[in-house]
Amino acid sequence: MKNPLIKRIPKELRTDWHKYLVIIIFMVVMIGVISGMYVGHDSMLEAVALGREELNIEDGSFELKMKASPELLSAIESGERADVKQYFIDEGIREADEEVAKAIEDELRETVRGEIERAVREQCAAYGITDEDAIKSRIDAAIAANYDDAIAKARESEAFQNAAAEAFEKAHEAVIEKVDEKWDEISEEYELDSAFDAVPVTVFENFYRNEPEDAEGDGAEDATIRVFSSDSEVNKASFLEGRAPEKRNEIAIDRMHADNVGVAVGDTITVGGRRFEVVGLLSYVNYLTLHESNTDLMFDAFGFDVGMVTPEAFDSLPSRMHYNYAYFYSEEPADKVELADNADNFLKMLITQTLVNDNEIEDFIPEYLRQASNFAPSDIDSDTAGTALMCYILIAVIAFVFAITITNTIEKEATVIGTLCASGYTKRELVVHYMTMPVIVTLVGAAAGNLLGYTAFRTVALKLYYNSYSLPACEPIFSREGFVKTTVIPLALMFFVNLFVILRQLRLSPLQFLRRDLRRTRRSKARRLPAWSFLRRFRLRVMLQNISNYAVLIFGVIFIELMLCFAFGLPDSLEYYSEKAPEMMFADYQYMLMGNKDEDGGLITTGEPSAERFSSTTLKYAKSRDALFEGLGSGGDESVTVYGIEEGSDYIALPDELRKGEAYISSAFRDKFGLRAGDEITLSEEYANKSYTFTVKGIADYDGGIAVFMKNTAFNAAFDKSEDSFNGFLSREEITDLDEKNIAVVITQKDITKVTNQLMHSMGQFFWVFKIAMVVLSAALIYLLAKIIIERNEQPISMAKILGFENREIASVYILPTAIVVTASALFSFAVGYLLMIQLFKLFMLQMDGYFAFYMKPESMALSVVYLLVGYAFVSLVDFARIKQIPTDKALKNMDV
Amino acid sequence: MEIVDLKKSFGDGEARQEVLRGVDFSVKRGEFCVLLGPSGSGKSTLLNIIGGIDKQDSGYVAISGDKLEDMDEKQLTRYRRLHLGYVFQMYNLIPNLNVKENIEVGAYLSSKPLDVEEVLTTLGLQEHKYKYPNQLSGGQQQRVSIGRAVVKNPDILMCDEPTGALDYKTSKEILALIEDCNRKYGTTVIMVTHNEAISKMADHVIRLRDGVVRHNITNEAKVPASELDW
Repeated sequence: MKNPLIKRIPKELRTDWHKYLVIIIFMVVMIGVISGMYVGHDSMLEAVALGREELNIEDGSFELKMKASPELLSAIESGERADVKQYFIDEGIREADEEVAKAIEDELRETVRGEIERAVREQCAAYGITDEDAIKSRIDAAIAANYDDAIAKARESEAFQNAAAEAFEKAHEAVIEKVDEKWDEISEEYELDSAFDAVPVTVFENFYRNEPEDAEGDGAEDATIRVFSSDSEVNKASFLEGRAPEKRNEIAIDRMHADNVGVAVGDTITVGGRRFEVVGLLSYVNYLTLHESNTDLMFDAFGFDVGMVTPEAFDSLPSRMHYNYAYFYSEEPADKVELADNADNFLKMLITQTLVNDNEIEDFIPEYLRQASNFAPSDIDSDTAGTALMCYILIAVIAFVFAITITNTIEKEATVIGTLCASGYTKRELVVHYMTMPVIVTLVGAAAGNLLGYTAFRTVALKLYYNSYSLPACEPIFSREGFVKTTVIPLALMFFVNLFVILRQLRLSPLQFLRRDLRRTRRSKARRLPAWSFLRRFRLRVMLQNISNYAVLIFGVIFIELMLCFAFGLPDSLEYYSEKAPEMMFADYQYMLMGNKDEDGGLITTGEPSAERFSSTTLKYAKSRDALFEGLGSGGDESVTVYGIEEGSDYIALPDELRKGEAYISSAFRDKFGLRAGDEITLSEEYANKSYTFTVKGIADYDGGIAVFMKNTAFNAAFDKSEDSFNGFLSREEITDLDEKNIAVVITQKDITKVTNQLMHSMGQFFWVFKIAMVVLSAALIYLLAKIIIERNEQPISMAKILGFENREIASVYILPTAIVVTASALFSFAVGYLLMIQLFKLFMLQMDGYFAFYMKPESMALSVVYLLVGYAFVSLVDFARIKQIPTDKALKNMDV
Repeated sequence: MEIVDLKKSFGDGEARQEVLRGVDFSVKRGEFCVLLGPSGSGKSTLLNIIGGIDKQDSGYVAISGDKLEDMDEKQLTRYRRLHLGYVFQMYNLIPNLNVKENIEVGAYLSSKPLDVEEVLTTLGLQEHKYKYPNQLSGGQQQRVSIGRAVVKNPDILMCDEPTGALDYKTSKEILALIEDCNRKYGTTVIMVTHNEAISKMADHVIRLRDGVVRHNITNEAKVPASELDW
């Protein structure tokens, strides 16, 4: 026989459907959102990873000034460095030979001419001819008649041949001597003495043209479009809509750019002065974000575009061809260090091979450093940190709601449990019975949540990504991490929390259940209350009677406030950071240079009076040891910008007594890792086994980034640079006299706000959804908690009705205390939630690069409390209706249940 | 069933109250035994100890030679499950199960349950079997509670003031039902009551006062429940 208690489950679901509906909605929304984010996240990363394989993404690329000769290409593919010495010798000898040959020729001609003239003059003297004009005309005649023969004869002469050979030999010796003399310099310039391993590669053409794009058809250039040919074998595109171009007048362009500028398939745009019909919207595997240049701090999906045309159309475009080549390593690098070594060796080789093959490098980017293909995946990857945090908070809330629901049920059914126990029901049977409902509800919630997660919420998550990046189309995949976090963990949590609570409750003896003697401790006397009016004392009694319920309610409200602080505070913090970012910059312009010497080897200088030299480098700070727990764990190490600042700087004030090995750190660095003056920090190179330790001497008031400041001299000493070395300028004004070629990147206020604006653009919608979800969840949670209080008091309420109390009076006794507690605890919980959020946010920031503190606007603070109270106002209306519905026979008929 | 020198007290120090002060008696199989006494005489405590849901301070209860005090929690549960049926003054029915299902709750526990339909008929609940407890009168609810206990076909039926909350007429009906079960199924009945009149229907009356057995009488002239009057 099946346990007949099982029949209670569907009946309970039917009777209390609104309670379970609220709980299930609560769970479905939470699990759905989190599952959707994980599925979206995993699907997208999978699509990107798959795309990299299928669309043949390069290992790196280089652009040459001229089209590479077959010799150069095969030399590059060999991976071997060119024989630079021989090249310089050959070049020297070639030049020397030309010079020597010319000199010999000149000498020969001069000598022969002189000889002829001398012979004619001697003849004229012998004939007594003195007239100079006559002599000159005879000389000319003699030269005309004999010069070539004489030259030929002289060339054949042994003396000439010996002299010429000697001259060439001497010149060659001089060339070799000079190359030897200058070898150290050459070696240094081409890094020929450094360690080198040949990295064989395969090279493919990946030419492009940068054309003006006019999407609006008004004749004005709206963007620059980088056009590739559709027959490229590498760095291919996936299509989100439409197809690849097939005709000369067809083009496919980037989906994100098209969305931004309002171009759709079927529209016509002008590229390079020619009209093209847009037949497809694509995502190039190496342009997941539209970074025009790798040095751009932020991508620009409005002003830059990538596109694909047929080879014929490509050839007919007017702008100059960019001879860009993609390369693939013959052997896949084993790890990050080898990847970096390979890129390093490849570049050394490329420099020498282009040199000896008379070409020039215009650009070189190893794929792992390419912003356009790596920015989006790494950003998407870092999203999980926030999701996990949210997940943990919400799971705790579900478990908590269930625990109190179960406690309430067991208390309500105490005498029934006592009777069942007395009749011989085992604890196991009762535990299984009471566990069934939460497990079923969690299963239903998880199933429906996951279903939504894999469909609607996944679409929301993907939309978020598509709003930000030029990502490829993706298929939903099973997210193992998402499954564990949204299904396995909630189920396990629900199971164990409820098992714990139920076992604890059922520890009581059958007799205790029968007598409703459920408290482990009992007050011997009732509390004495002040001589207030009867109703006030009644209310206070209700409050005291339900003190444990209110404790639970306060606990719940703290959770809700914490969530509301998150929902309000995160966008506030971003906005605040965005607004304050310009103020945070210590210089209006930061010019990072390619090096500190110009083409001619001269030190780069500027006439800008406010400009000040500085040095900087980026190192890594190990943050795993500071992350509080793993799993929420630090993705990677923190990027720290180390600045070398000029003595007496106008931008960063460093005290004179700062010694070698001592440094100031930015206030953001201090706040993120809780550092103090006197602490030691160890920073290391990312791709080399080299680390540097500095003592924190003080804090520089700079919230804009994780930075370390020291004197430039100390910087140069620490990083083995020459004494006067620097690699950038800080400036208040724009510097106009720097050669563009020498500038690596310029960081201005606009760049800083561009980042946060982009973040707000991508995440704004998410915050809005999140806020609404939190308000709904908060109302649902208060609903459940308030319901418990009314349910616990159903009999007294019924009795009060029998005694003749009006609903209004009963409400003032049973709802008002709750209202007072909710209001007071909302304010208290806001303070707790706010302070807790500050700490949690710090933890959250540990997962990210950079730092900004949690901030809430005063109006957001007020709103987070008001939202909760508005939610409660609705709940109290429901409570009032519930009180009205409690029948008077409740107190009479069912005293025992 | 043997009850030997059973003692039980509550509280400590001055507040210490001896509820049972050495109770001795025995109950034969199939007997209808009434524990009679005024409030506070310790009769419910005695019943709870016999039922294995309370513990004595000293003395013992033995059923067919097995002492309850030697049983652990699991064995006690098994003892209750296999041998006892309980009826309380309050009916303690499961509110969201109907009459038939509430009786099935008892049937589930037994390896030799009675036919649920038959019990419903015996208890006069056939027409109410699909009603919920809150749709029944107090007497009807108590019938269900008896049905839940009886359907197990227990060796001993423990009744703690089963008519305490019922009117005269209903009380007599309920008592008649318990009497029927005792006769029809041979179930030993131990009933706690303060109602002197009810003792007339018993085979065996134990009169308790201040925690001791004042009288231990075998009733020679039993009166059927229907003829009781008070």
